Formats: sequence, structure tokens, C-alpha cells
Amino acid sequence: MLDDWLGARRGYQIRRAMRHGKVTVLCLLMTVVVLRGTIGAGRFGTPEQDFHDLRDHFYSRKRVEPHRVLEEVSTESGRSASAQSESTQSSSSSSSNSYETFDISKILVDEGEEEKRDPSKPYSLGPRISDWDEQRAEWLRNNPDFPNFIRPNKPRVLLVTGSSPKPCENPVGDHYLLKAIKNKIDYCRVHGIEIFYNMALLDAEMAGFWAKLPLIRKLLLSHPEIEFLWWMDSDAMFTDMAFEVPWERYKDSNFVLHGWNEMVYDQKNWIGLNTGSFLLRNCQWSLDLLDVWAPMGPKGKIREEAGKILTRELKDRPVFEADDQSAMVYLLATQRDRWGEKVYLESAYYLHGYWGILVDRYEEMIENYHPGLGDHRWPLVTHFVGCKPCGKFGDYPVERCLKQMDRAFNFGDNQILQMYGFTHKSLASRRVKRIRNETGNPLEVKDELGLLHPAFKAVKASAS
Amino acid sequence: MGQDGLATQKRTSSSLPTTATNGRHPSRLLPRGRQIQKTFNNIKITILCGFVTILVLRGTIGVGNLGSSDADAVNQNLIEETNRILAEIRSDSDPIDPSEPPEADINPNVTYTLGPKISTWDDDRKNWLEGNPEFPNYVNGKPKILLLTGSQPNPCDNAIGDHYLLKAVKNKIDYCRIHGIEIVYNMAHLDKELAGYWAKLPMIRRLMLSHPEVEWIWWMDSDALFTDMVFEIPLSKYANYNLVIHGYPDLLFDQKSWIALNTGSFLFRNCQWSLDLLDAWAPMGPKGPIRDEAGKILTANLKGRPAFEADDQSALIYLLISQKDQWMDKVFVENSYYLHGYWAGLVDRYEEMIEKYHPGLGDERWPFVTHFVGCKPCGSYGDYPVERCLRSMERAFNFADNQVLKLYGFSHRGLLSPKIRRIRNETVTPLEFVDQFDVRRPVHGNSRS
Repeated sequence: MLDDWLGARRGYQIRRAMRHGKVTVLCLLMTVVVLRGTIGAGRFGTPEQDFHDLRDHFYSRKRVEPHRVLEEVSTESGRSASAQSESTQSSSSSSSNSYETFDISKILVDEGEEEKRDPSKPYSLGPRISDWDEQRAEWLRNNPDFPNFIRPNKPRVLLVTGSSPKPCENPVGDHYLLKAIKNKIDYCRVHGIEIFYNMALLDAEMAGFWAKLPLIRKLLLSHPEIEFLWWMDSDAMFTDMAFEVPWERYKDSNFVLHGWNEMVYDQKNWIGLNTGSFLLRNCQWSLDLLDVWAPMGPKGKIREEAGKILTRELKDRPVFEADDQSAMVYLLATQRDRWGEKVYLESAYYLHGYWGILVDRYEEMIENYHPGLGDHRWPLVTHFVGCKPCGKFGDYPVERCLKQMDRAFNFGDNQILQMYGFTHKSLASRRVKRIRNETGNPLEVKDELGLLHPAFKAVKASAS
Repeated sequence: MGQDGLATQKRTSSSLPTTATNGRHPSRLLPRGRQIQKTFNNIKITILCGFVTILVLRGTIGVGNLGSSDADAVNQNLIEETNRILAEIRSDSDPIDPSEPPEADINPNVTYTLGPKISTWDDDRKNWLEGNPEFPNYVNGKPKILLLTGSQPNPCDNAIGDHYLLKAVKNKIDYCRIHGIEIVYNMAHLDKELAGYWAKLPMIRRLMLSHPEVEWIWWMDSDALFTDMVFEIPLSKYANYNLVIHGYPDLLFDQKSWIALNTGSFLFRNCQWSLDLLDAWAPMGPKGPIRDEAGKILTANLKGRPAFEADDQSALIYLLISQKDQWMDKVFVENSYYLHGYWAGLVDRYEEMIEKYHPGLGDERWPFVTHFVGCKPCGSYGDYPVERCLRSMERAFNFADNQVLKLYGFSHRGLLSPKIRRIRNETVTPLEFVDQFDVRRPVHGNSRS
């Protein structure tokens, strides 16, 4: 037809041009599609997203939410209607005797109003105290019944730990918290240390890992008889029941953490020290440190911005909001002259022991070494960083975390049970077996580790 | 003739098309075979292109499994795996060790004993204490107490059960820190025959014998909470007694009621008498036919007891009734304060108590211990509605926690709230409040170091 209008040759050329044009357009289209699939054109979406949208449009009722790995469907009340069709008898649970379907949030009631802080004023942990050493010394003089040293080299220590007042999101999280606190109770009973288990959020602005700061300050000021405050995370367990912290080593230090000087001061590595287990002396210096540590903590914009600064300044730190550990590294690295002298970065024993390199070696340790060493041969503390058993998802596979926590618990528990003649059947087993028969002369039997009546628990003979 | 020729020509031209003819519609003039070949070529190319397209699409979108994407499949696997792990952790199963011999069955003909008989414990202990003055049984004039409590080694049937066990242990830690009492939290079944509520007996005996410096062993159930943080047990009242237990003498001797005493909270002195009582108490405990038979005897002899296997409380009551002369002179049945306080009559009155009374009384005005008998939050079913139980436990916990937080200047925002509010501003002289509010100060009548 074209030929009739334009002539044969012209028509042929135009047809050829059109053919070429078609091919070009087709190739262009293919390129765009492939690029979109591989790179993803931002707000124009990817084919995958298209597919999801299409699928959702047709299958909206069966959408499975990603990441909700550890949820119990029956107890979730805030889910979308599609999931709720699976839960049963939610209406009758108010009078039922079954604990399975109960939702705790139904009974919790907050009376009164949230306290609101004045945002124009900078955050502070409390009014500045500048004569704490004098106040405390006077109080100790007036109260000789509450000495800060139980024996010449044994300061009075308060171990502080804690967890959320609400049930864990993970159904077995509370069980592991219970085991962890039992573990701490055992160590502290053997070593004459007091425990404070915190379940209250003292300051809503310092929530999360920062919650320990207002708590520590409050406890230091309310318990002047305490010489050292030992903060320990809820996911850390004692695995050496016989090891006594070498208090004399710290007589000139106020802050003891596990870490390495080079990694903190030279490399500014964000894991150069660990704030999951540390000792803080009750003195003016510590109050000042807390005041300088706190400003990066307040929730919201301050914490976000601080997080960016820390990621920029510290080595290997991933991008997330400011945490207390990175803030401390930064603080020490930048103000070494002011604080460094009284900070002791301990690496001779595991005041904090990263679990990843320890838990597989327990059998080897049992074979080759003995409790009381506290270091890589028999760690004092095995700290399950990253496992987050109370939350829904941690940084490591669930099975590894929970099974290893069981093993670490049993490893520590064996040292307690051996006092009474028992041990776990294996590091993975909850059952116990006898290792020493009952006898008619129990007082002649000494436990192997000498933990029943250890020297570090002895009371001064004159005190009664 | 001409027409034939034309027709032939036409036929020829139509049957033998040549490419050299006018280029109007060249395809129509191609031989048949060529046409088919061309069609095949086209089809081949089409199939190839289609194949490539599907490959590319599959790579970008992932149309592998129709109806679910890659990420979801992975998630599904994760969920299943995690549920399997949780079920395994929750079950009571143990990894089987092939090298271990199978456990011997209980021989009902052999009388069960807690251990070899000890008959000189009082003297042995006295000698030991004299030889070890650095482990005295009296510190600052107060006898050394060891609080024993515990729970099952595996997770509760429901997560909420473990949560309340955790809160209960925090509550005990607080009371014991304030009053200088040591805690032993037991999570092991020392004796497989004496499992369940009987598990406390071997543990009490074991602790007594291992810790001669402990003067009193105080057993407390895991579902009992301290609600009076100031009250201290008046141990001087019990100088001539070896067992202190909450109960009512008339219910015990006149009515022979199975709830005349409560073994959820009691104190045992560390002495020979206690060892003898434990030995006399244990025989009804061993799991199996012994416990079942004993249960029948107890139901027959005690008023109001339902039919179930022998429990330690009924067994103790029966023992004390039937061997009254042997034991009762050293047993103090206490009811002037709530060493054990049945929760149902107490939890609703907390607000009234806060208004009218103050801590330190320990009795019905401000109960020392609120014991949640029958709630069984660690199991699947309790004897009472779940909401009532959990609500009451939360209230009791917060009621007690307020007394602890008072020193720090905080209080819960309501007895059902996990959140706290400030009741005292921060100050630069915190020690004046410490003197005023710390329970351990002499102003409260307590002194410890």
C-alpha cells in the first residue's frame, strides 16, 4: 500500500526502517525490564515488588508476615484479622482456668500520667552533687554497723542486673532469665555479694541499654555502704564459681571493665571494651563519669545523631543508634587524660567472656583444667551477646543460642551441685546424678572445690 | 489454442513462482517447502526468545513456586524450625546417653530412706561451730537463716508461668537482701523418687548437713510472695521450738483438717530433731504405689481431703496428729502473723491496707506473705480463673515492690502497672532520705551488717 503512494524503493526503505525501529524498541524494553529487575529503580519498583503487589491483591488473606518467627499465634492480640481466624476461645478466656490463651496486656493498667520532661533543658541524671566523697565518709563514720569493707581486702559489693517488667516476647525467654538469675544467686551466695534485680524503668528517656545509668546512680546514692557496684547483663552467666575477683588489684581504680587498652585508645574499636559486666566504685569520680556518659542516651533525635557520630568515629561500628558501650569507648578515647588513670581495662580474666569462643570448649576445659582460673582456661563469665533470648530475634540462630545457654548454665551449676554431691548427667541434660554417696558423717566430707565454707566468705571472728 | 496457452502459462506461473517477478508480495511467491522452513525458523526463534524471557523473569521476580516467594519460604522454614526447638526445650526429654545403665526400678519392699541414719547431729554440729569460728551461726545477734525455694528444671507449660516465677524470685531476693538472709534456688530433682512437692525434703536435709553454720532453714513455695518487706520473723519467740509452721491448732487436733497447716512456708531448725522428723515424714513420699496407697490413707483420715496421691502437707499433718506426743512439744503452730497468707482474702484489700496501716505488722492488717495456693501459673490449668490469679499476683508483686522502691523515691503507677513514677525529687543530699527510708536502719528496729 505504501508502495502505491511513495514508490517501490521508498516504500521498501520505510518498511525496513520500521522493522529496525520495532527491533530497537523491543530491545530497549528488554533492557529496561532487566535493569529494573537487577538494580531496582527505587520508586518505580522492581518486578519482585510488582509480583508481591499482584499476589497480595489476589491473595490478601493468606499473607504471611515476615520476621515474626517466634510468635505464638494464640496469644497475639494485635494481629491483623487474617491471622486472628486461627486463634481460639479468646472471648471465654476471662473465666477460663487455662493459662494458654491468656494475654497479659489485658490486666495491666497504668494509672496517672506519664511524666514529661521539659525538652528545652538539657538532659541530666539528677542535680549535680560535688561532695559525695565527704558525705559518704561521714555517713560511714556514723554507721559503723554498715561498713564498706567486710574484711580488709573484701569490699562490700552489690551485683546489679535486671530485665523488663513485661513478659518476654519469646515464649522461653523468661525461663532463661530465671536460670540466669539462679546462676547469679548461686555465685553471689558463695562469694558474699548482694544482688539487686531491677525490673523498673527509672527514666523513660533512657530506655533500652541506657537504662542502667540512672539505676546505677540511684543505687550508688542510696547505698553508701556499697563500695563497688557490679553491673551484669541479664544474658551473662557465671561459669567459674570458685574464682574470686582480685579486689586488691583495683585499689587505685574506680572503673573496671573487660577490654584491651590498645583497642580502645589506639584503634578506637567499638568492641574494645564491654559494658555488659563491669565494676564501678561508689565515689565522686563515678558520679562525674555517669554525668559525662549520659548525654548520648536520651531517646529520639539525640540518640540517633549520637549514633551517627559514633559510627563515624569508632572502628567497625555498624550504623545504629548510640549505645552505652560505644559511647564509653568514645569517651575514654577522647578524654583519656581526665578518666584513663582510674579506669582499669582488665584482660587477664574473663570479667566478660564472649560466648562464641567459649561454649564449644567446655568439655575440653573439664578435662584439662579446674575452676578458680577465671580466664580462657575456665572463664569467669560467659556472656551471650547478641542472643537476645527475651526478644523475638537475635543476631544468631535460635537453636545455637538456647542450647549453648543450657550448656553454660549446667557448666556453672555443676560446680554448685558438687558441693552437695551431685552433678548434671551431661552438659545438655537437666537431670542430675549422684557423685558422692550420702554418709553418716557429713561434716567430714569436704567438697572438691572448697565452696561450702570458702575463705572469701569467712566472717571476722569478732563480729557477733 | 491461445487460451490454452494462457491457461498453461498461468498455471505455470502459479505453480512455479519465481523471485524475479514483481516485488509486490514476495512471500506469496515462495515455494511451499521454503515457506514451511521459514515458519519453522520463526517458531524456533519464538521459542528461544520465550525461554530467555522466562529465565530472566525468574531471575528477577522468582516465579519458582507459584503462590509464595523465596523469602517467605525461608521464613516458613525458620518458623517451623524454631517451633521444633521450642517444643524440644519445653519437653521433659533428655538426650539419651547410651553408655549409661538404665535406671533401676524402685523396689517397694525396701523401705525408702533419705540417707544413712545420723544420731549425733547436735554434738557434731556444736563441735564444728567451735572449730570454725569464722562461720558462726549467729551474726550480729541474729541467727543465720537460709531461704530455700525452687521450681521445675524445664520451662513452664506457658510463658506467663516463667514470668511470674521470675517476679517471685526477685521479690524474695529483695526481702532477703534487706534482712540478710541467703537464698538457695533449687532447680534440680535430687531424688527421682521424691519428685514434685516432696522434692523439698531431700534438699532440706542436704542443706542442713552441708551448712552447719545455718541455724534455720526456711522453705518457701515458688508461688508465695513477701508482701511485708519490713516485718522480721520474731525468732526469739521460738527459742524452744524446732519447727515453725503456719496453721490453726483447733483445725489440726479437733477437726483433723487437711489444711490445718501449710507447708508452703515453714522453718526448720538445724538440729537432730529436724533430721528425725524428716526421716519420719519421708516414707509416704516415694513415687508409685507407695504414694498412691498413702494418699488413700490420708484421704480416709483427714477431713476434707480430696482423693489424690499423698502430698507432703497432708502427710505432715497426719504425722503430727498420730505421733502427737513425740513431736508436738517442739512444733510451734503460728497464726499471729501470716507466715503463710492465703491470697484470696488478702489481695483485694491492698488499697485499704495502704490507706489505714503500714508495713511491719505482718498480720491481717499488712500480710507478711501472700501465698497463691491453687493458682499454679507454671502449669496449664489452675484451680481458679486465670485472670483473677494473674491480676492478684501482679497486685501483690507491685504492693511489695512499692515498699522496696520507696527508698529510691519511686512507686508503681497503680497496683496493676509495671511502670513507675517518681514520688520524691532528686536531691543533692540523698543520705538524709537513706536514713529515713532504708528498712535496715535502726529506726525500723532492725539492725544488720
